[in-house]
Amino acid sequence: MGAKDNKKSSYISNKEISFKFDGKKYHGYEGDTIASALLRNNVRFVARSFKYHRPRGIYTCGIEEPNGIVQILNEHNEPNTRATVKQIYEGLKVSSQNRWPSLNIDIASINNLLSPMFSAGFYYKTFMGPKGFWKRIYEPIIRRTAGLGKPPREFRSKSIHQNHNVDIVIVGGGLSGLIAARKLIDTQYDVLILEQDSFLGGVLKNSNKVKKINNKEPKEWIKETEKLIQASKNIKVLKNSLVTSYNFTNHLIASEDKCAGKKIDENKSELTLHKIRTTHTILANGHIERFISFRNNDLPGVMLASSFEKYIHRYGVVPETNPAIFTNNSTTATLLKSLIDLGHKPAAYIDARNKEKIGRKFLNYLEKNNIPTYINAEVEGCDGNKKIKTISIRKSNKIIKIKSSMLCVSGGLNPDIHLFTQSKGLVKWDDKLVTFKPDVPFQNTITLGSVSGNYNYEKTFEEINKKLSFLKVKNINLKIELSDINNFNIKELWETKHEKKSNWSKSFIDLHNDVTTKDLKQAVKEGFDRIEHLKRFTTNSMGTDQGKISSINSLGIVSKILKKKISEVGTTTYRPPYAPLSFSAIAGRNTYEFYDPQRKTPIHNWHIDNKAVFEDVGQWKRPWYFKKFEMESMHLAVQRESEQTRKTAGILDGSTLGKIEIKGKDALEFMNLMYTNAFTKMKPMTSRYALMLGEDGMIKDDGIVCKFDDKHFIVTTTSGGAPKVLADMEEYLQTEWPHLQVYVNSITEQFSTFNISGPKSRDIVSKVFTDVDFSNENFPFMTFKVFDYMDTKVRIMRASFTGELGYEIYITPNKALELWKKIFHFGKAYDLVPYGTETMHLLRAEKGYVVIGQETDGTVTPLDLNFNWMIGKKKKDFIGKRSLTRSDTSRDDRKQLVGIIPLDKSEFIEEGQHVVECERLPKRITTPVEYLGHVSSSYHSPNLNHCIAMAMIKGGNKLMGSKLFVSSTYGTKNIPVEVVSPIFIDPENKRLVS
Amino acid sequence: MILINCPYCGERDQSEFSNGGEAHVARPENSENLNDKEWGKYVFYRDNPKGIFYERWVHTHGCRKWFNAVRNTSTDEILKIYKLGDNPPNKESFSNTLKTPSGEPKVGSGNFTVKK
Amino acid sequence: MTQLLSSEGIDVSQKNFQQIIIRGDGKDQFNQKINQEISTFPPSKNLEVTTNHKFILAKNSFDQWSLIYLVEQDYKEILKFISKINSNDEILASDYSYGQVYFEISGENKNEFLNQLTHFDLRLKKFPAFTMAQTLIAKIDCTIYNLKDKYIVTCNKSYEDYFKERLKDSIKV
Repeated sequence: MGAKDNKKSSYISNKEISFKFDGKKYHGYEGDTIASALLRNNVRFVARSFKYHRPRGIYTCGIEEPNGIVQILNEHNEPNTRATVKQIYEGLKVSSQNRWPSLNIDIASINNLLSPMFSAGFYYKTFMGPKGFWKRIYEPIIRRTAGLGKPPREFRSKSIHQNHNVDIVIVGGGLSGLIAARKLIDTQYDVLILEQDSFLGGVLKNSNKVKKINNKEPKEWIKETEKLIQASKNIKVLKNSLVTSYNFTNHLIASEDKCAGKKIDENKSELTLHKIRTTHTILANGHIERFISFRNNDLPGVMLASSFEKYIHRYGVVPETNPAIFTNNSTTATLLKSLIDLGHKPAAYIDARNKEKIGRKFLNYLEKNNIPTYINAEVEGCDGNKKIKTISIRKSNKIIKIKSSMLCVSGGLNPDIHLFTQSKGLVKWDDKLVTFKPDVPFQNTITLGSVSGNYNYEKTFEEINKKLSFLKVKNINLKIELSDINNFNIKELWETKHEKKSNWSKSFIDLHNDVTTKDLKQAVKEGFDRIEHLKRFTTNSMGTDQGKISSINSLGIVSKILKKKISEVGTTTYRPPYAPLSFSAIAGRNTYEFYDPQRKTPIHNWHIDNKAVFEDVGQWKRPWYFKKFEMESMHLAVQRESEQTRKTAGILDGSTLGKIEIKGKDALEFMNLMYTNAFTKMKPMTSRYALMLGEDGMIKDDGIVCKFDDKHFIVTTTSGGAPKVLADMEEYLQTEWPHLQVYVNSITEQFSTFNISGPKSRDIVSKVFTDVDFSNENFPFMTFKVFDYMDTKVRIMRASFTGELGYEIYITPNKALELWKKIFHFGKAYDLVPYGTETMHLLRAEKGYVVIGQETDGTVTPLDLNFNWMIGKKKKDFIGKRSLTRSDTSRDDRKQLVGIIPLDKSEFIEEGQHVVECERLPKRITTPVEYLGHVSSSYHSPNLNHCIAMAMIKGGNKLMGSKLFVSSTYGTKNIPVEVVSPIFIDPENKRLVS
Repeated sequence: MILINCPYCGERDQSEFSNGGEAHVARPENSENLNDKEWGKYVFYRDNPKGIFYERWVHTHGCRKWFNAVRNTSTDEILKIYKLGDNPPNKESFSNTLKTPSGEPKVGSGNFTVKK
Repeated sequence: MTQLLSSEGIDVSQKNFQQIIIRGDGKDQFNQKINQEISTFPPSKNLEVTTNHKFILAKNSFDQWSLIYLVEQDYKEILKFISKINSNDEILASDYSYGQVYFEISGENKNEFLNQLTHFDLRLKKFPAFTMAQTLIAKIDCTIYNLKDKYIVTCNKSYEDYFKERLKDSIKV
């Protein structure tokens, strides 16, 4: 007794492959899964269970496997791999999971004997206290013994995404899928066939149920079909591609394993996530066999009958020559015949049905072949140490014991309705098939073959012709010969009665999560009589297999307890993914350098050459500061850049600033509505600092508006705010003010921007642009000029974000670098320094300029920043105007902008710290003190040589000159500070207008 | 991701669009005559029904055009798309939607037994 | 022109085109004004493309046209053209010549290749020759023109390095 190769099978090659399981070397054939190869080597005990650490063996032959879950040691150290799916290749190393120190001797299997402790809701009930025990004691213990495999060591998997747009998707390349595909060959439809296995054929290769198709061997028919599909231009086949999600609007996700049976090539993608948009979806994804619960139905050696059959026909291995068969339906007949045809004799045939249901013909066959047959009987349980030794059969209330090392079980077939219900299709209970099957689709979904509850292979083509008639494609007639009568004749049976009552004897409903039928009953008793609650309380069908072979069984058992129909109990909700999906597949190439798109200015490479350290501003890479020498710290660099700018001149690459061109008959009116400022009286060719609010009155963005004339403006926005500001402008133009004739274009990328500032900036720009008069009289503060330069146009605006004399230069990007270099050429004599965003922030803070998003956070009005002067009060309307007089926005104890300096000038205040009142400080605090606000910006000013900070403080305007406290990291101390004006340098604006 | 039929560009993936909230909420013209409550209603209050909802969308990554849509919020079906300025379609004209509380299938969800 | 990558059934090269984005109402006066300058009427159907050996003129959106010069023009001429068009209050023309990058993608596998980076339905029946679309490719805003045997794809210049790396990566893995 033991495993035998079935040489007749041709689906597996003859090429021998060696691999290791738990350190021991085994041989299999190319095309073998880990499971089929282990069975070939008589290895049946492959894993320990999740909770009780019971010995487990291979239970199925596919994606539904609850037991045979292993860790792949090479590759990424991938845990929770299905041994029944993963194909072996030369050198593959596999280990079992959930055991320590080894599979054979597992310390945590004591859990099994302590199992009364581990009943339904165990975690909820047990670890309730005392306080602190969870963190220190319970959690570490649970983490060691529970859980599945070990996480990958280093994650370097590569996956790509591939989008598809097609007319028809066929899920499943089995008999029905292939018939449907043949109908669609050379039609106007783009068709995509998705097959989870590495070959087409489904049931035709999984069994010998179908003997001949049009007088051809099924193998030949598949080959012929595949050839026809290949020759057609409109059908594409994806193998090793498992559909995991069926989303709304016929959008499907499938994961393709491109390394099935191969070693992973680290330079190539391993998985492809196919994102498919289709018009029609044909589900031909078949069925999954379910089990029956009996005592110790988890012992290694118990296997689903159709899986056993698959191992014989698909992988050419008979896992055991003399297994017993336990069934409640007719599908096992072909398994029995296959065994007999191969010259093996099943140990027993146990059928829960009566003679009439089984049928005379088959009973005669059993008799003729001398098979020990038990009808109207059931398996009570099985016994053995780490494998089945004896099987107890109950017939007429008597227990008969037989010897066998394997038991094939069939509890019926469930149409694989997972994808159908994901698509929001309705299912209904079929009393004859004793299962749920698809009823009303919600999308353009067609179910064909066994997923629709049609197990009659002979007539499948008729169903397909009928259901696909709307596509107006040719009909197909097939002559399909079966090897056995095609009646399903199932008898409802979910669980058999126990005789033995020991802690070791359990009847499982969920093998993966170790849920017993007893747990279900207890949970219902405790009041969890709704199926969704019951599922979560017991963890039934919540494992990585999602209860594929058992969830309908649990409904059956619960319906019996509740004395309800199964259709009234309902199913739990099916959610994607259908089977575990690798995170790497979901991420695709959107990782590491492609995690977020990166934007670079035309000066980027110059910045790199000049030792810039970059900062991410939205998607932009902006220089944060420039290192003068390798070892220069950020602090030193920023102090140096700031000092130099105020001393002579500094320049900032401001190309990331958003820029919008606004033009049209009604441009002026539009600008007056969008911004708080009044633009009517503004002179042409001047510019103005402007604020944009939301309808709630809160500051949304700021920028500088350049007015060419009443019909033409160019505005700048913050670097991050550009798309939003443009979108807002478009929105109001289209939705609220369609009568305004205004067009807006984003020109952010069409102009590079340099901000040069400092007392020597005029000298420098005068040398660069020799034709332009930069004198104060002819080029005053907040004006701009446009002129020809280097075969392009340049716009220069006199503006400043530092408080110094400054110019903003706009030039087309193709000439930007050239100009930048030229400015440095002439700037050298003045020690012109390039500075980054950090110095920009420091310099503007010294001058008391705010940064949108730093001082403001969506709860700040212009009044809170003392920007009253920017509000066109005489304007009838602008966005947010009405909100500025709401009772809440006109409160005078709102948080207002103030400056803050430490009393002890050597102290440093941190950004984000709390500002608190001082009466009870710095004494020991016994009751909470009132929080007044927070520090929004803080820098060490090189020009004042102490810390300067800005803060948003409740009623700040009234607190000028008061002494407050600012907290520090971890509350180590409270720093005494004074509230001052936020303008620390040149409050009279002398430098600006000089 | 659902498909949205942009009235200008045709059917495109949802990722190209942005949702603009409830449709047919006009910006008050005479805001200075409104009291805080009335103005607050415009700024802060929007409907959020389960079922038929009239809402605005914009084809952000396409033609930038705003348009209106009728969506069943419980099933995500877009029942109708119409241009700004067009009259909203009659609510009664939509009946082909699932009637269960959340739009989930009657059988196929454990919620079924909770319903009664 | 720079050859960026060439693989089985896919060729990508970078082009130095120039572009003007024109906004307007598409009515008579607008059409006449454009025709006056380039002797071509702007397409009236949304997403339609007219082209000759010198330029592409396409209707991008309800109020937006793009004019792409396939043959390099004297930049001064472009600026002149823009200022002429802009003399009309009801039209806004903005220079997009150097803030964009352009790629020509051809070869029989161009659809499958691009569909690694975009969900956009490139099938001829949904994206006919001489139409255009604005969509997301590799997570960024791109405009794609179908010139029958090749696509012209354009995006903001700031994304140039990122976008090129994504294109190369798609062939590599």
